Amino acid sequence: MVVLMRYMLGSITLALVVSAILVAPPVWPGKAAAAQEVQIVDIVAERFRFTPSEIRVKAGTRLAIRLRSEDTIHGFHLVGTDVDLDIPSRGGEAAVMFRPEAGRYTFECSRLCGAGHSYMRGVIIATD
Amino acid sequence: MRASILLHRYLLTQALLLCLITPPALAQDTQQRPAPPRTTVAGYMDLHFNKAEFEDGRIDFHRFVLLFSHSFTDRIRFVGELELEHALVEGLEEAGELELEQAYIDFLLTRGFNVRAGMMLMPIGIINERHEPPSYYGVERPFVDTFIVPSTWFEVGAGIHGEVGGGWRYRAFLTAPMNAAEFSADEGIREGRQKGANANLGRLAATGRVEYVGYPGLTIGASAWTGHSGFEFRPLFDVPVSLVEADARYSRGRVDLRGQFAQTWLGNVGRLNDILALRIGVNPNLGRSMRGFYTEAGYWILSGGDFGDVGTFVRYENFDTQFKMPDGYVGLPAFDRDAWVIGANYWPHPDIAVKVDYSILRSQSSVIEAPNSFNLGLGWWF
Repeated sequence: MVVLMRYMLGSITLALVVSAILVAPPVWPGKAAAAQEVQIVDIVAERFRFTPSEIRVKAGTRLAIRLRSEDTIHGFHLVGTDVDLDIPSRGGEAAVMFRPEAGRYTFECSRLCGAGHSYMRGVIIATD
Repeated sequence: MRASILLHRYLLTQALLLCLITPPALAQDTQQRPAPPRTTVAGYMDLHFNKAEFEDGRIDFHRFVLLFSHSFTDRIRFVGELELEHALVEGLEEAGELELEQAYIDFLLTRGFNVRAGMMLMPIGIINERHEPPSYYGVERPFVDTFIVPSTWFEVGAGIHGEVGGGWRYRAFLTAPMNAAEFSADEGIREGRQKGANANLGRLAATGRVEYVGYPGLTIGASAWTGHSGFEFRPLFDVPVSLVEADARYSRGRVDLRGQFAQTWLGNVGRLNDILALRIGVNPNLGRSMRGFYTEAGYWILSGGDFGDVGTFVRYENFDTQFKMPDGYVGLPAFDRDAWVIGANYWPHPDIAVKVDYSILRSQSSVIEAPNSFNLGLGWWF
């Protein structure tokens, strides 16, 4: 019985650790401090803007981006990456995790949301 | 043994904590890769019932609009907007119109500098670039956005746009000019739009907008348009046209506020009136300046309920298409108008609006009465 419990406990622990490693890839020691931080960023989408449209963070910071719409369905696409999700219409929320290395990351609305859809863009600026 | 259990507990706690701060929705992998080409379709519809004083009611499928977007790459995008007005096209505008309101390519170079070419919306006023029915109060668009800013105002051209940081945006386009031969005293410059239909490009018009969107819920903008519109006349003479506009919107919580001011100036109007009188047999009595403004306040009396949201609004408008007359001409009081519009929107879904309003239109004329109207509308976006 004890052996079985130890086996189960070990399996669960192993599964959790593996999944934790998968969703949180390792970072180099120099960036460890920044990597351990999780910064929550709230972005509001509405025709035809993101607020805020400019987000400055320290490179390696784990960004929890929470997205909310004031009107219709919008999209959140991080240009150059496969991050592309719908922001539900008013009343719903979406979220995505992103850990930028140093650089500029443009995000844009990926759901055609009206005549001024093309103006819905923003940028995440990550600096060392 | 005890050390092993402690290690297990430690690892389990750490893993759970990590999972808690990284819920599944946040765990999306972010790989660097170019986006594949893709095409999307959207649109909006606008059905109106209008009952003007002293007239029978009319029902009109006012707008059936389809929008298309195709991303060739992350940096090159096509956007198109095709609009059928009044449900039927018979060749005359009164029966219906099929209009290509947008068809441009955006070259998205940097955040602050992008290039656009094709058929574009003029970046002027609140409604011209933001006219999806659920996004504004009232069945009909504001009078100022019809008679002073000729929405929907679109033209062929090219230009640049971008956001320079701190919430500041700009757009600057060169386009085909307006045709002064189509101006009128009651509708101002509205019929002068060439709409990209074999448009004269003898002298380019310029338009631009500066906009601040850095504060949540607040948009403040100023726009201008200038061009030379006398190209149709022989012998050629110049009709310079300028328009300036300023607007502000604020929406937060249950409150919606907006206001807009616009004024147009025409040059050589005396001579333009004379020449048009020879062409059409009647002096059009064009003013040398047109002006309009409105303010609107809305309040959501129901918000977040299971059956949708309800907002009420009141809007005051003042507009005069003969605000200033050229020497020797007298303006007609009938064109100096103001309006109170009061009503409500019901949104059973954020993309569907059922609208009702009553419009009290007045003019300075004691002879020609401006009719009040009761309006019902159903508009949706998909």
